[in-house]
Amino acid sequence: MSSAEIAAVVLAAILAAVCVVFVSRPFLREPAPSGDSLDDLTPGERERLRLAEERDRALAALKELEFDHRTGKVSDADYREQVGPLRRQAAEAIRALDIGVERPDGKSRD
Amino acid sequence: MSKGRSPARLVIALSVAAVLAVFLLYTSFAGGATPSLRPSQLQGHTDTVSLAGKVVGPVTGSARGEGLRFTLRDIDGTATVPVVYRGSVPDLFRVGRHVFMKGKLVDGVFVAEPDSLVTKCPSKYAPKKSDSKAT
Amino acid sequence: MPELGRAALVVALGLVLYAALAGGYAALRGRRRLLDSARNALFAAFAATAAASVVLLVALGTRDFSFVTVARSTSRELPIGYALSAFWATQEGSLLLWLLVLTAMATAALALNRRLTSDVLPWTVPILAGIEIFFALLLVFVSSPFETAPAPADGLGLNPSLQNPYMVAHPPFLYLGYVGLTIPFAFAMAALASRRIDERWIVATRKWTLGAWAFLGFAILVGAKWAYEEVGWGGWYAWDPVENAALMPWLVGTAYLHSVMVQEKKDMLRVWNVVLIALTFSLSLFGTFLTRSGILNSIHSFTESSIGAWFLGFIALVVAASVTLILVRLPLLRARTKLESLVSREAAFLYNNLFLVALALTVLWGVLYPILSAAVRGVALTVGPPWFDFFAIVFGLPLVLFMGLGPLIAWRKASLRSLGRSVAWPSAAALAAGAGLLAAGAGSSPAGLVGYTFAVFVAAAIVLEFARGTRARHALGDGGWAASLAGLVGRNRRRYGGYVIHAAVVVLLVGAIGIGGFSTTREAKLAPGDSVRVEGYTLRLLGSTQERGANASEVRAQLAVSRGGDDIGTISAGKNRYFAEQQTSNEVGIRTDWLRAEDLFVIADQFNSDGSVFVKVIVNPLVNLIWLAGAIFVGGSLVAMWPDAREQRRLERRFAEQKAFARA
Repeated sequence: MSSAEIAAVVLAAILAAVCVVFVSRPFLREPAPSGDSLDDLTPGERERLRLAEERDRALAALKELEFDHRTGKVSDADYREQVGPLRRQAAEAIRALDIGVERPDGKSRD
Repeated sequence: MSKGRSPARLVIALSVAAVLAVFLLYTSFAGGATPSLRPSQLQGHTDTVSLAGKVVGPVTGSARGEGLRFTLRDIDGTATVPVVYRGSVPDLFRVGRHVFMKGKLVDGVFVAEPDSLVTKCPSKYAPKKSDSKAT
Repeated sequence: MPELGRAALVVALGLVLYAALAGGYAALRGRRRLLDSARNALFAAFAATAAASVVLLVALGTRDFSFVTVARSTSRELPIGYALSAFWATQEGSLLLWLLVLTAMATAALALNRRLTSDVLPWTVPILAGIEIFFALLLVFVSSPFETAPAPADGLGLNPSLQNPYMVAHPPFLYLGYVGLTIPFAFAMAALASRRIDERWIVATRKWTLGAWAFLGFAILVGAKWAYEEVGWGGWYAWDPVENAALMPWLVGTAYLHSVMVQEKKDMLRVWNVVLIALTFSLSLFGTFLTRSGILNSIHSFTESSIGAWFLGFIALVVAASVTLILVRLPLLRARTKLESLVSREAAFLYNNLFLVALALTVLWGVLYPILSAAVRGVALTVGPPWFDFFAIVFGLPLVLFMGLGPLIAWRKASLRSLGRSVAWPSAAALAAGAGLLAAGAGSSPAGLVGYTFAVFVAAAIVLEFARGTRARHALGDGGWAASLAGLVGRNRRRYGGYVIHAAVVVLLVGAIGIGGFSTTREAKLAPGDSVRVEGYTLRLLGSTQERGANASEVRAQLAVSRGGDDIGTISAGKNRYFAEQQTSNEVGIRTDWLRAEDLFVIADQFNSDGSVFVKVIVNPLVNLIWLAGAIFVGGSLVAMWPDAREQRRLERRFAEQKAFARA
């Protein structure tokens, strides 16, 4: 084997070794962890996340309606017609979330 | 939310159908698809057709003079036909390139329509063939 | 050093196999450390691929002809820049580039979304690993850049058409686009697998999607510029399958970008969106399959190398897996909200999607037609530019119209009256422009005239949007007009960046119509001293020159250009004869008039022994707007992608507060 080939093999071995160490790091750092489960959301948390998204969506829609009204894209009549239902939607979403908050044990509303 | 539900779906479905109809009508009536023949399929055709194949040397003559003469071979076969072409020679033209042209078979020679020679964008990654290996 | 390169690729393959298996198990069973380990394996795979890439780069730079790849694509005389760019000029090299970009992007996506991926989307790791396995397998077993053979004296050299800065840039940008689209696909599938259909994954991948899509669009334009200058037939897009391969995923990607906005606002179209992203990703794979497998040349060349079969198999696997996953999660995806009104932005986006997907599928049909007809009827039937142009017009023009209408319609429901008020001014401007253009003679191309009219409509609509928004902000705040505009854009980066991108499309349209509908061609055989006249330009042949360049012999015809009696310079056009590659290329002469955005385009077809030259002279009006559109497109994309610290904080806060309440 020429010197270039030997060098190549050595470098390759180093690369492989470094990779193996890097891949084993989580196990080397915590050989006996207190908990090893993935931090997943409980159904209650998921439901609350969904409600939070609904709330944010409703609030964003309201903001956009206001902006569109101010720029003239939405006429006064259209604005009057849409703002009521949107406000109700946002209020409902906030209320649903608050009720969820009152029960921090993770149980959803119903 | 009560108002636009079914009509909306219907309108969307109709739009999709309309788009499809445009497509089908055009392809069936205007056609636009020209048969692209290989040299082996040229026999017996006296009409204007589109010919596709691989350029085989030697390439002689001049396209802006008496005519560029070369042979065209089946891409995956051995049948050949001599070709004479006048007009612009595209940038990527060379022996071994896949080309298209329109024209007619006259007395055993394919006479191409002027300026109808087109080279396909070369597949840079064409499969390894024996003539492209490093010697 | 080829052994190092080969070994590095084997290491990479081992790492991604581990990442897929370990990551899959960890996602299934919820094991944190194992998932971290799998993710580390993906990071390490990037390092290994980078090592292999460095080996190849060094070999190319030093012209180590013992590497078969280097011998096939470089030569001693090749300038160093082009020698390095030969990295992506071959099948195996470009596969390595693909894997390099993929591992790099996967690493970045996982590292930047650490919390998202470890808490919520563990399936991203095995899915990304699975895709990487495919390319690593190809590189190790089917098409290796590190094959060796006895070194020849000199290499075969780089295809002269590739010795052009645009062709050097085109593949990297193209891959940033193609590969970039893998990330949103992987996240979408991971979200389906983990049943996490909430908005976070869309938001996390929003910038990736936009960035990849922007790179892809830019790459298409770079490719077009190359075709315009280097292939030089006078046009910029030929509907060649290789071009269409990149256009199809871009069109569907555009549809996805829009319909994903509907999902964010109204939480609907969820099924359609996953279908779209799966289709986009599949089309990008399909596109690269088309250009690599040789299937478009003939079925036979397809079967000569196995690479086509591999790609086809992988695409089939991706499609089957995506469809299965979507069907399994269908109940979860079904939306609860419905379309409220046909006169709404949601409806406009749906129409936008319809036309974009229709156009993409039409292009796909045109690309596949020769193969299908050859298989069914024995004769390959090809469709040419007229067929594609027809559909580009029929589907494209309504699309342009919606591009103008969409921003003017409100979400949810708009009354026809307020819509009428919004479109009044842009419509008037468009009709006036149309009438003016008709009077100026643009009626020679009816489609072009309609296109120009629509373009003015869209441009006016964009200006209106900016004006209305700035005025509203100005009325509120105490800043000047400039500050209001800056504030407006700063707070709505996606929307106004999007409007700039729309403006780029308008500019592109105007340029494309100019060259497509209104160009003029003249051919002449000129002896020295003879002139030819085209559209007000007069070109007189001065003579011919011959020079020896770095790796080619260059023959040029020199012509003096004048317009309206004024001398405006010279232009030269001719041919290069490349020594090593034994090939001749056309080198066209282009003279750009920046004020009119038009090009004088000269092809020197033939140099005769008596000193006369056969030339073809073309005048392409407005063509440079196409390249200008590319610059505007990049600018608009940057604005749209610019990180919004406020929104980022809001999302983090929302996620945190839900978890905090749960633990309280």
